[in-house]
Amino acid sequence: MEKFHNIGTTTDWIVMVVYFLLVMLFGAYFGRYNRSTQDFFFGGRRFSWWLITFSIVATGVGSHSFIKYSAMGFQHGFSSSMTYMNDWFFIPFFLFGWLPIIVYTKIRSIPEYFEKRFSPSARFLATLLLVLYMVGYIGIGFLTLGKAAQPLLPEHFTLFGQTFDITLMGIIIVIAIITGIYITFGGQTAVIFTDLLQGFILLFAGLLLFVLGLDYIGGFKVFWDLLPVEWKLPLANFNNPPSFNFVGIFWQDGIAGSVGFLFMNMGLVMRFMATKSVNEGRKAATFNILAMLPISAIVVSNAGWIGKAVSIAQPDVVPPNTVPDQIFVVVANLVSHPGVFGFIMAALTAALMSTVDTLINATAAIYINDVHRPIKKYIKKKITVTEKENDKKELSAARIASIAITTLGVLSVLIFEKFPTVYEAHGFFHSTLTPPLVVAIFLGVFWKKFTPAAVMSTFVGGVALMILGNYYPAALISPFDHGTLMDVKHPYTYIRALYNLFVCSFVGVFITVTTVYQKKIVDFIKTREYHNKIFYLLNTIITVIFVSIVFDLLPFTFALLLSIVLILFISLSITYFVKYDEYKNTEGLTAWSIAKAKELFKGKPINDREGKKIIVRWKIKEGDDNTVNFSENDMKQMAAETGDLVYISDARKYLGGLKSVHSEYGTPHNEDGIVYINKEHKLTGLFIEGKLLSAEKEM
Amino acid sequence: MPSFFNTWLPFIYLYGVGGIFFFTGMILIRKLKGIDMRKKKHRFWWKVMFFGYFYFMLIHAILIIAALYW
Repeated sequence: MEKFHNIGTTTDWIVMVVYFLLVMLFGAYFGRYNRSTQDFFFGGRRFSWWLITFSIVATGVGSHSFIKYSAMGFQHGFSSSMTYMNDWFFIPFFLFGWLPIIVYTKIRSIPEYFEKRFSPSARFLATLLLVLYMVGYIGIGFLTLGKAAQPLLPEHFTLFGQTFDITLMGIIIVIAIITGIYITFGGQTAVIFTDLLQGFILLFAGLLLFVLGLDYIGGFKVFWDLLPVEWKLPLANFNNPPSFNFVGIFWQDGIAGSVGFLFMNMGLVMRFMATKSVNEGRKAATFNILAMLPISAIVVSNAGWIGKAVSIAQPDVVPPNTVPDQIFVVVANLVSHPGVFGFIMAALTAALMSTVDTLINATAAIYINDVHRPIKKYIKKKITVTEKENDKKELSAARIASIAITTLGVLSVLIFEKFPTVYEAHGFFHSTLTPPLVVAIFLGVFWKKFTPAAVMSTFVGGVALMILGNYYPAALISPFDHGTLMDVKHPYTYIRALYNLFVCSFVGVFITVTTVYQKKIVDFIKTREYHNKIFYLLNTIITVIFVSIVFDLLPFTFALLLSIVLILFISLSITYFVKYDEYKNTEGLTAWSIAKAKELFKGKPINDREGKKIIVRWKIKEGDDNTVNFSENDMKQMAAETGDLVYISDARKYLGGLKSVHSEYGTPHNEDGIVYINKEHKLTGLFIEGKLLSAEKEM
Repeated sequence: MPSFFNTWLPFIYLYGVGGIFFFTGMILIRKLKGIDMRKKKHRFWWKVMFFGYFYFMLIHAILIIAALYW
C-alpha cells in the first residue's frame, strides 16, 4: 500500500491554524450563554428546528466521516453512500414514540429512563453499556482525526538533536488535548453554535471538493464514463466481499445503527431535546434525514469517487494501491490550490472535533445524571450549599468528567486501530455495542409488558450470548450470514449485528412471555424459610457463569447451555429483588401513554386547541410570581388559558430561539400587545430592551 | 453487466425488510394513538413519513437504472 506524508504547504497550515482559532473563539462566545447545568448539557430547550438540523449535520458528517466514506468510495464506488440513505425505516417509531417520551418525561439521560421504566439496577447496567458505546464512539472519532492528520505530517521530527517518530497514537493524544480544552470550557450551547457554523462550512467544503475534482478530471461526463458500472451502483453487492457487503451493512447500520443513532446516541438525543418543542424536534429529524443526509453522502464520499476515476486515468498520480484511509487527503491536495487544501482539511478536522466534543459533552451529562447524582443521593450527603452553588459544583464535576472521558476515548483507539480501515472498525463497534441497548430501549418503549426481569436478562444474558458468538462465530453467527464468507481475521464484522439483535430480542421476548411462570417459581421459593439465601446463591452462580463466558473458560456446548441457565436465573433473581408496578412504571413512559406523559409534563390537563403566534412588547413586573401575563385578547388569539405553557422568544427569527424562555400563562390584563415578565425571565431569555418578542402556546 | 446480486437484490431486500420495520412502525403509532389523525399537524406528518419511504426508494431505483443503462 502506498502511504503519503508531508502533504500540504505552509499556507495550508496557516489557514488551518487560523480556522481553528476562529472556531474556538466562536464557541467561547456562545459558551457565555451557559447559566446552569441545564444549559451546559441541553442548551435550555429553546432552539428552532433549522438551527438544530445544521448543528446535527456537523455531528453526522463528522462521525460518518470524510475519511472512512472516501476510503469506501475509492474501494467500492457510489455504494459508500448507502449508510446515509437507509435511516428512514425507524422514523415513525422515533417521531411518534421515542421523541415525545424523552421530551415529556423530562429525562436528562437514557439510563434515567431505564430507572423510571424498570429499576435502578437496569439504570446501572444501561449506564455501563451506554458509556462503553459513547467512549467507543469517541475513540472512533479520535482514530479518524489521527488518520486525517497523519498524511499532513512528516514521518519524524528532530528536537534538540533527537529524532522522534510521529506515530498515530502521538497525533491522537495531541488532538485529544485540544478537543478536551475546547469542550471543557464550552458546553452544549457552544457546541450547537460551532456545529451550526461548521455544518455550513462542511457542506460547502465537501461540495467544493467535488466541483474541483470534476474540473480536474475534465467534467462530469468524463468522470461518469471512467468509472466501471459496478462502481456506479448505489448499493453494494448483496453478500460479497466480507469487508463491504450490502446485507451485513444493512443490519449493522440500517437497523442497529439507525436505531442506535436515533434512540441511544446521547449526542443526538440531546440535540433534539434542545429544540423548543416536540414538533420542532420532528422537523429537525425529518429535514436532516430527507435532505441533509443525501447531500452529506455526496460531501463525504466524493473524494473517494474522484480518487478512483483519477487512479484509472492517471495511475501514476493516484496509485490504485493508495492506502484507502488516506485517499481523502491525497485527492483534496491534488485537486485544490494551496490554501484551499488547508481550508478543506481544517473544515474536515474541525467537524470531526465537533462530533467528538458533542459526544464528550453527552457522556459527561450521563456521568453527572447517572453516576454523580445517584452516588450523592446514596451516601445521603447533607446539602449545606445553595442550589446555585450546587449547580456550580456539578458544572466543575462535569468538566473533570469530560477530561476523564477524553482519556478513555484515546485508550479505546488501541482496539480500533487493529482494523484495516476506520469503516470496518466502526462497523464492528456498532454491531457489537448497540444491540443490547437498542433492543432494551425499543421493547421498553413499545411493549408495556416488557419487564425489569426481561431487560436485565437482555443486558446480561443477551451480552453473554453475544460474547459466545464472538468466540464461536462459525457455529453461532454463520446461520445468519446470508451467504457472506467468514473472514478468519475479522469474522462477520457487519452481519454479527443480526445475530446480536436476534439473541437480545429473543431473550427479552422469551423472558417477558414467561413472566407468569417466573412469578410462580419465585412465590414458591418465598414459602421456604431460607428464600433470601437461595437468591443470594443464585446471584453468585450468575456471576460465576458470566465471568466464565467472558473469559472463555468453558467448552462451547457447556457454555451455551450455561448461558441459558444464566438467563433463567437472572429472570428469577430480578423478579425476586425488584419491586415493579406495571401501571406506575409504564404510565407516561411507553408509547402507549404519550398523552399521559404530556399531561404529566404540564402538570395539568392539556389544552390542544390550535392558536396563533403573536408579536408583543415586554415590560418587567415586580414580585416573585413566575408566570407571564398577556392581555385577554392576546390569550384568545393564542387559544390559551391561565396555567397553560407558553414559549416566548426574541422575534428576530435568525436567532433560532437563542434568546427565549418557557413559562406559564398567569392572570390576564387589558393591555393588548404587552407581556409582563419577571427579571428572571429577562435574564434567562437574554431579552434586550426595545426588541419585540414572539409568543406561542406550547400546550 | 453486473449480476442480480449487485443490482436489484439489495434494493428489494432494503425496501422489503426495511419496509417491514417501516410499515410496522406506521401501524403501531396509529394503534397506540401516538399519532392523532384528528390533528392537522399529525395528518401532515403521516403524509411526510410515507413520502420519505417512497422518496428514498425512488432515488435508489433511479441510481441503479442510471448505473446500468446510462
